Amino acid sequence: MLPFSLKRDGIALRAFEPTDVHALFAYLNDPDLEGRRYLPDGFPDLAPLSARHVEGILERWQKESESWTLAAVDTSSGALLGHVRADWEWDLHCPSACVVIAPPQQRRGIGSAVLAVALAFLFEETPAHVVSGWMSSWNEPAIAFAQRNGFSEAGRRPRGGVHAGAFYSEVAFDLLRAEWLMRKETHHVA
Amino acid sequence: MSLEGKLVVLREERREDQRLFADLRNDLVTQAWAKTLPPDYTEEMHVKRFEGLEFTYERTSSRLVIVEKTSGQAAGFVSYTGEQHRMSASIGIVVAKDFWGTGAALDAQETLLRFLFEELGLREVHLWTHSGLPKAIDLAGRSGFAVCIRLRESVYKFGGLFDAVIMSLLREDYFARHPDMTDRLPRID
Repeated sequence: MLPFSLKRDGIALRAFEPTDVHALFAYLNDPDLEGRRYLPDGFPDLAPLSARHVEGILERWQKESESWTLAAVDTSSGALLGHVRADWEWDLHCPSACVVIAPPQQRRGIGSAVLAVALAFLFEETPAHVVSGWMSSWNEPAIAFAQRNGFSEAGRRPRGGVHAGAFYSEVAFDLLRAEWLMRKETHHVA
Repeated sequence: MSLEGKLVVLREERREDQRLFADLRNDLVTQAWAKTLPPDYTEEMHVKRFEGLEFTYERTSSRLVIVEKTSGQAAGFVSYTGEQHRMSASIGIVVAKDFWGTGAALDAQETLLRFLFEELGLREVHLWTHSGLPKAIDLAGRSGFAVCIRLRESVYKFGGLFDAVIMSLLREDYFARHPDMTDRLPRID
């Protein structure tokens, strides 16, 4: 069974639909997500997004052939909770993954559940050997999330940008397939 | 005007450089790509790419040919890509094996760095390489780059797994290494 069939703890993954524009618009414009929305190149990560922007984002996600971005939804209400992305455009040997959860839905285990789907897809359905994740040094919840999910910090590139009047670093994490397998065995990760 | 170093000048790309570019791309060592490309590049392919270049005032990327001053020969090229205005860029360098050990690569790297920090006002310059290329790591280190990220076993090349290595050079560290130069940009911190 493919990992996309995740239905656990009231969460399911599905493809984005044009009708998701309003819900996506709402959570992408949550001020708490500014700078960590993981948008396609060319879309502003630090400014309010218009409905037109969001339509463009959905269109880009749907056209990409070497990545997927899926919607995480609440199975009972159908509400959009966030999105998860797996990207192997550079090299299927070393793809990357990211997760964005609407701020009101955070700290419920949704991020870890959908990340597990991305990792299962990459490690079980592709030749991926190692998966990376990238985040800003000011994004402490994301750093804690990566550590909690078995990733190791690979280092920090200074001057990733400016935030709150100071430079921040770009932080890289990685997870080897062997580590993922061991963790899966230990934690019974889906 | 070209960018002038001690041993080399960096100039714009010309049609006659395209044979060299194809040769460099077809050598698995000098192709400078972390995933091997097949050695099937032709001069015609490079000429077509060259002729497709458009006039632009954009400066987010550039490729400059390294010309050794004494011989007048093209030795390879340096490039920068992904320039985030007034912030950062990633550089690359490819030098033909005949010019290894001549100092041309280091001088070309230094000449490009001077342009990036003095003219483009960048705050940081970085480069990607991998642990299977100790010469590349050493060359970067000689200009003051330090390893900042090491992604484990992310590169498969020469029949082995290597770490992807990102090296970084901060603006203030660059100027500290060049006391003859003065940094007139205000600091942000």
